[in-house]
Amino acid sequence: MGVAYLTVAVLLAATAVAAHRHPGVEHRAVWRLGFHQLRPLLLRLPVAIVAASFVAELIPPEWFARMLGSSSGLPGVLLASVLGGALPGGPSVSFPLVLVLSHAGVGVPQMVAMLTAWSVLALHRVLTFELPMMGWAFVWRRWLVSVMLAPLAGGLAMLVTG
Amino acid sequence: MARSRGHGLLVDRVTLFFSVLAVSAGTAVWWTRGDAAVRAAFGHAAGLLLMVLPLVLFAVMLAAYIQQMLPMGLAERWLGAGSGVRGLLLATLAGAVTPGGPFSAFPLVVGLRGVGASLPVCVAYLTAWSVLGLQRVLVWEIPFFGADFAAVRLLVSLPLPLIAGAAVMALTRPTRGD
Repeated sequence: MGVAYLTVAVLLAATAVAAHRHPGVEHRAVWRLGFHQLRPLLLRLPVAIVAASFVAELIPPEWFARMLGSSSGLPGVLLASVLGGALPGGPSVSFPLVLVLSHAGVGVPQMVAMLTAWSVLALHRVLTFELPMMGWAFVWRRWLVSVMLAPLAGGLAMLVTG
Repeated sequence: MARSRGHGLLVDRVTLFFSVLAVSAGTAVWWTRGDAAVRAAFGHAAGLLLMVLPLVLFAVMLAAYIQQMLPMGLAERWLGAGSGVRGLLLATLAGAVTPGGPFSAFPLVVGLRGVGASLPVCVAYLTAWSVLGLQRVLVWEIPFFGADFAAVRLLVSLPLPLIAGAAVMALTRPTRGD
């Protein structure tokens, strides 16, 4: 976790310096935009993490290892794809949830499948942005071809990680 | 109940969903395992939150800086005329470097459609933005899951936008030729 803080802090410092030299960027406007995007998370994130901890407490660790561990193979990848497609929220909410699951023993290919399904299917994003902005004809075609992507990514990850 | 979107500390649908989940799962934990288990789960959640919250704070500010600095008109100029495999490759590259959340990606796709980009190009672009988005990798994935995991996931995700774009091409060929 120390590395994580370091990565983000260095990146933030570097972009802030770059922005300082960039003509059209005002620090105050950026912080206002950031706070605007942060505000809904201040309630959502704690609630989501508490919920995930309770759910993880309810599911026995052996279950995670058997159903979603690295030895669960392709069935585990398929299950992870379904779970990932149902994960709500942006990365600020779903990444902590997946982190709870990864502590509980989910395998790497299964996590790859879960995150891929979450990012390409993203039900919440489809309903709030894609459907109103792109229309049904676009959405159903993109969904149809995207359903196969998460199991594919998980399967490839199984090959890569051996 | 939920207030309208975009006003401060609102209880939106996602928060409501997690609240219901927390209360019902918490009750189930208390029922089956008793007080101690509920306290242990709370302690675990509090520890995780303390670890994650500063990360989220930094990440959101970082994302805001990136959003302010990169010009959005660039991608439209690039992708409007692209077609075939070349168009799909350009779309993949553009999707990977597009910063920001759905607030920035979707208006861009609407713009792309407007300037004549084909359906497969738009799908490849959106898929690349979803699975290869470099900003999300730097800001969220590496801090949360480590560089090793991010590298494996990126490697296996590289072909996905092309596959999605080509599949849409096959799907739409009868009605829309290139």
